[in-house]
This record gives sequence, structure tokens and C-alpha cells, in this order.
Amino acid sequence: MKKTVFALLLAILAAGSVYAQDPGQTELEYNGWFRYTNQSKKFQVTDPTVSRSNIERNYLRASHRWSPQFFSKLSLDFLSSSSFADGAGVRIKDAYLDMALPIPDFTLTAGVQKHYFGLIYSWDYTHPDKSLADAQGVCASSDYGVTVNGFLPKGLGELQLGVYNGEGYKYTGSKVSVAPELLANLRVTPFAGIQVGASVFAKAKDFSTYKNDKKGRTSDGTKFELGDTANMSRFALAPMAKVALGPVSLTGEYIMYGYTREFSYYALNRDSAGAVTDSVLHAKSKGYAMSGIDLVPLVSLLGRKFEVFGRFSTWERKEESAEGAMEVNLDRSLMRYGAGFNYHFVRRSGGSKPGVAFQLAWIREQSRKEGADPVDTFMAQARLEWNHLFSAQQ
Amino acid sequence: MKKLLSIATLTAMVTTLVAGEVMVKGSDTMLNITQRLAEAFSATRPDITVSVAGGGSGVGINAVVNNEVQIGNASRAIKSKEISSARANGVNPVEYAIAVDGLCVITNEKNPVKKLTITQLGDIYRGKVKNWSEVGGPNKPVSLYGRQPNSGTFVFFREMAVKSEYAQSMRQMNGNSQIVEGVKADLGGIGYVGVGYVKDGGISVIELSSDGTNYSSPLDKSAVDAGTYPLARPLFQYTNGKVKGDAKAFIEFEMSPAGQKIVEEEGFFPLNKSLVEKNQGNL
Repeated sequence: MKKTVFALLLAILAAGSVYAQDPGQTELEYNGWFRYTNQSKKFQVTDPTVSRSNIERNYLRASHRWSPQFFSKLSLDFLSSSSFADGAGVRIKDAYLDMALPIPDFTLTAGVQKHYFGLIYSWDYTHPDKSLADAQGVCASSDYGVTVNGFLPKGLGELQLGVYNGEGYKYTGSKVSVAPELLANLRVTPFAGIQVGASVFAKAKDFSTYKNDKKGRTSDGTKFELGDTANMSRFALAPMAKVALGPVSLTGEYIMYGYTREFSYYALNRDSAGAVTDSVLHAKSKGYAMSGIDLVPLVSLLGRKFEVFGRFSTWERKEESAEGAMEVNLDRSLMRYGAGFNYHFVRRSGGSKPGVAFQLAWIREQSRKEGADPVDTFMAQARLEWNHLFSAQQ
Repeated sequence: MKKLLSIATLTAMVTTLVAGEVMVKGSDTMLNITQRLAEAFSATRPDITVSVAGGGSGVGINAVVNNEVQIGNASRAIKSKEISSARANGVNPVEYAIAVDGLCVITNEKNPVKKLTITQLGDIYRGKVKNWSEVGGPNKPVSLYGRQPNSGTFVFFREMAVKSEYAQSMRQMNGNSQIVEGVKADLGGIGYVGVGYVKDGGISVIELSSDGTNYSSPLDKSAVDAGTYPLARPLFQYTNGKVKGDAKAFIEFEMSPAGQKIVEEEGFFPLNKSLVEKNQGNL
């Protein structure tokens, strides 16, 4: 085991990590979040439906800068999950190469990298829960692709244009369709303390993959084939804004997300005994439209040691009915609100990133389903993060 | 809205850095010079304490953005990414130059090579040029002298001249004086030192050119002021908005004749006219 860990560390160091600023420098970084979650209906904290401790994040990152023009980063997520035989697995979260472009402050990035949509890519988990787009499955926080990233002159903002797989960093191989996702993101800071922006992505439907080649068999041995499924076209738009005034800030976004699912299926004809006699192929299309708001007010106190935050989110899901009308799916529409605080025992040098912090958050989720009880979640989290820079000459 | 403003004001008061104390953090290259300036300033203003810490230019800029210190030292200009991040957080970085950093490239005085282009200099320090005959000199192996990696000068020279990795053969010396002594005793030696260390005999200061046509010497103040000498750069301090109060008094002292005298004593170049004018516009 020790040998494996040592070999892994060496491999990471060899591959390169994080924000190494000078040529020849390599940086190693660790992010560890240890969380206790208590979830119950209507504040039944002593009679919870969920009460567990877990490692919410366990990232080891390594980056290397060869020269002012070339930089690479690798982030490995050592995640705990019952999906793996030993209760833990490894996922690649970042693995990319940055190349400086002839335009000042612009780079071309290729590999598994941030997905520059809405707040998800700059979400720094000041609130320990995920961003709205992440939580509602609009998109993943990173994906395979090629992007052009740049900063506008005089700190006026940032711009990203990208072509991604579109399925997210967890999906590879045959799970990836041939239709690329196109993305654009712009954030502008016209004045200190005011930031506005918008992101958009679109992915065309794709008939070349997701062919469902499974064959079914009824109990009496009659064979039939299933139709093609899940050929989706997706589109999302998310305007955002942030206002910062001294130690107080308010960050928010509005997400619009829609997709169309085209699929086919075989309706089975049966005889009086219930046995399948034959089948008829039907083709269908169904639209889905979602929208939501996410607001995070934050107040920093005691020289940014102590942060108090709130959270308010909504999510509404509409589905196309058989008659073609878009109807709200109340079971999957909700409102969330809550509050919490962070205490930073130590921040990393420069104060921009956490070092050792304690986070506590309460979130109430109220489904719009009639008669549904609110679900209260408490998260208590220790956040341990460090980095170390290695120079080539050391 | 009124309540929100009241809370903001109250919390701003709580988080305001202590009056009578100016905290400066950042560039290691600027650590010694800022400490000297702070000592001299405190002698004239004993009511104000200036504490200075290193950590690197990026750390200094981040410390201003995050309201950790009043002044961030940086031996490079703030990046667009950093300005963008600062502005999004309600911080407006304002730049002041306090000195000009310039490096002199020195060789043994018996070496006939007196001029080099930046490309040739880079080739020499990358180890591509191994013999002085390759750059018009005698048939003698090149001996490289430089600083240790924790030195800001090491990084500055690498960024400005080497533009890649130093050759493994470079001798990493503890300081400027050791480099001068090494080159004096080595006919094939070449090194880089601050302008304050080239007054001794036994060494030559190389004239440099970016384009292979116009050569200039770091000892020519007009070339440094005009920005034609390739190994010169301003050293900056950043504040959140236009500098005020005790921090303003300190920065004004740094820019004063007394402050600029210390700058020269520490081996840096004083501010030129255009930097002085730019500073005044930001005060």
C-alpha cells in the first residue's frame, strides 16, 4: 500500500500541478474536506433520515510550468464511494495543458478542465453545498475539451470560448456522443465591486450514439428489439451578477436550461394469454425546460476570519405533456434556503484561499409537491487545504 | 438598504487594519529595500510602525486584494487576471512605483567581450553557448555565476534573459559580492549583480541590446530612464484605492529625495520622470 501511494505521488509530481508561476516550478496542492451530514424532515435532528460522516473532497493536485508559454495541471479526486469494491476510487478532475496565445493574457487550454458555465466554475464553496447548476445536473464542473481563455485589458473581465464533449468529466469512451458542446462565457467588471456576465452552451442532438442495441425476451421466449433512446439536444443560458461593498457581497445567477429527448420504443401486442405476439415501433419526442435562481449573500468579519452566509435557490422543472403543453413537475420543483458560517483558523499565504477552516451550514429544501414536508440538512465540515512550491533547482 | 449599509460600515470598521501600523507584504526582491525604507521612515515618524514581510509578488497582490495589508510589494506589474479578481471583490488596485530594479551583467575585465544581445546572454545562461569564441571572444570556456533560486534576482534574470531553465553548470552564489569575487578571479566568468556592486575594479559591465543594434549600459542613467536598457524594471507597491493615511505618508516618504537616496544605496535605480509623474497622478 505504501509503495502504491509513493508511486502515485511520484507520478503526480512528474506530471506536473497548481498555479506554479515561474518556469521550472512545480506545485503540489491538497484539498481535504471532512463532512458530517444530518438530514431530517422538519428539523427532526434526533430522528434523521441521513446521519453520516464522509470525505466530501479529497483532491491531490500537481501543476508544472515549463516556460512562460506552457503550463500543465493534473488533479486527482480520491473519492469515497460505495460504487467501488474497496469503498474508494480515483477520478481525474483536471488534466490539461495551457499554451499562451499571441494575444496578451489569452491561453489555449486542452484537456480535462473547468466547464465555464454560470457560477459553477468560480464556485469556491464558501457555501459548502454545490452550485445550483451542479446540484441540478445542468452540467458538470469540468469536462474534456479545448477552450480559449482570456482576460480583458485593465481588469475589465474575462472571456472563455470552448468546445467540450458535453457529458462531463465522469464520462468517457462510448458514453460520449459525437455532437460537441459549444460554450461561451463572458464576465465584465465595469466598476470595482460590480460584476455582470452570462454563459451559454448548446449541444446538438446526436443519432450516432446511444443506440440501444439491447434485445429483450419475454417469458415465453419471444424476442423483440428495443428502440433507440436518449438522443438529446441541450441548451442552457445563465446570466450572473455580483455586488461587493466592503465586507458584504451578494452573488446570484439565473439559469435557464432545456433539452429535447427523442426516442423510440416498441409497443408490444399480446394475445389473450398475455404472450407477446408482435411489436410496433413508435417514435417520440419530449421537451424539458428548467429554470432557477441562486442567491448567496456573504458578510466577512474579523479580517476575513469569520464569514456569515445565506442561500436562497429555486428550481422549476417543466415537462412536455402528451398534448404538447409544458407542465410543471411539482415533484422535481423546489425552493431552498438556509444560512451558515465559516471560521478560517489559517488562510494560505496571501489570504486568497482557505488553509484550515470550519464550515457549518443549514439548508431547508421544500418540494413543491403538495403536502411534502420540508427537508432540513445540516453540514459540519472541516476543510484542510495546503500547497507547496518546488523549484527546479531545489 | 440603509440597514445593509450600516452593517457594511460597522463590519468595515471591525476589519480595518490597526491605526498607526502599516503592513507591507510581497516581493522578496523588495524585502530588504522596503525594510530599510521602513526603518528610515519610522525614525521620522515614530508614531507609525511599518512591518514588512516577503512571500513573493503574487502573495503581496493577493494580500491587498484580501485586505490583509495596506501595501502589497510586487516586482512585476499586476496581471489582468488579478485586477479582474480584485475588482469583482470590490477592490480597486492602485499602482505606485518606488524604485527601478536593474541588473548589471559582468565579466572579467580581461575578457574582450564588452557587448552582448539578450539572445546571446540567454544562450550563455541556458548552456547553449559554452565557449566565449562563439560570441566573438577568446577560446575559453564560459563559467556561469548566478544567485540561488530563493532570490528574486534569480527569478528576474531568468524571466528577462534566460527565458527558460538555467544551465545546470551555473554556480549558485549566496549574494552579489560573491558573484563579483568569483568573476574577478575567473577569466571565463560571467555573472549578474545589482548596480551597487559594480564599483570595484577587475570586472567589466557588459552593454546589452534587445535588437542587436542599440546597446546600452546600466551605468548610463539616461538609458535606464528611457527604458532602453533591457534588464531594468520598476518595482511596484499596490494599495486598495488611492493610498490614504499612514500608508500614504510611508509611500510619500519612499518617493521623497531621502527615500530615493536609500533606493540608490540599496543598489536600485531611483525613479525616472515618467514614473514620478505617474505616481503623482495616483496620489
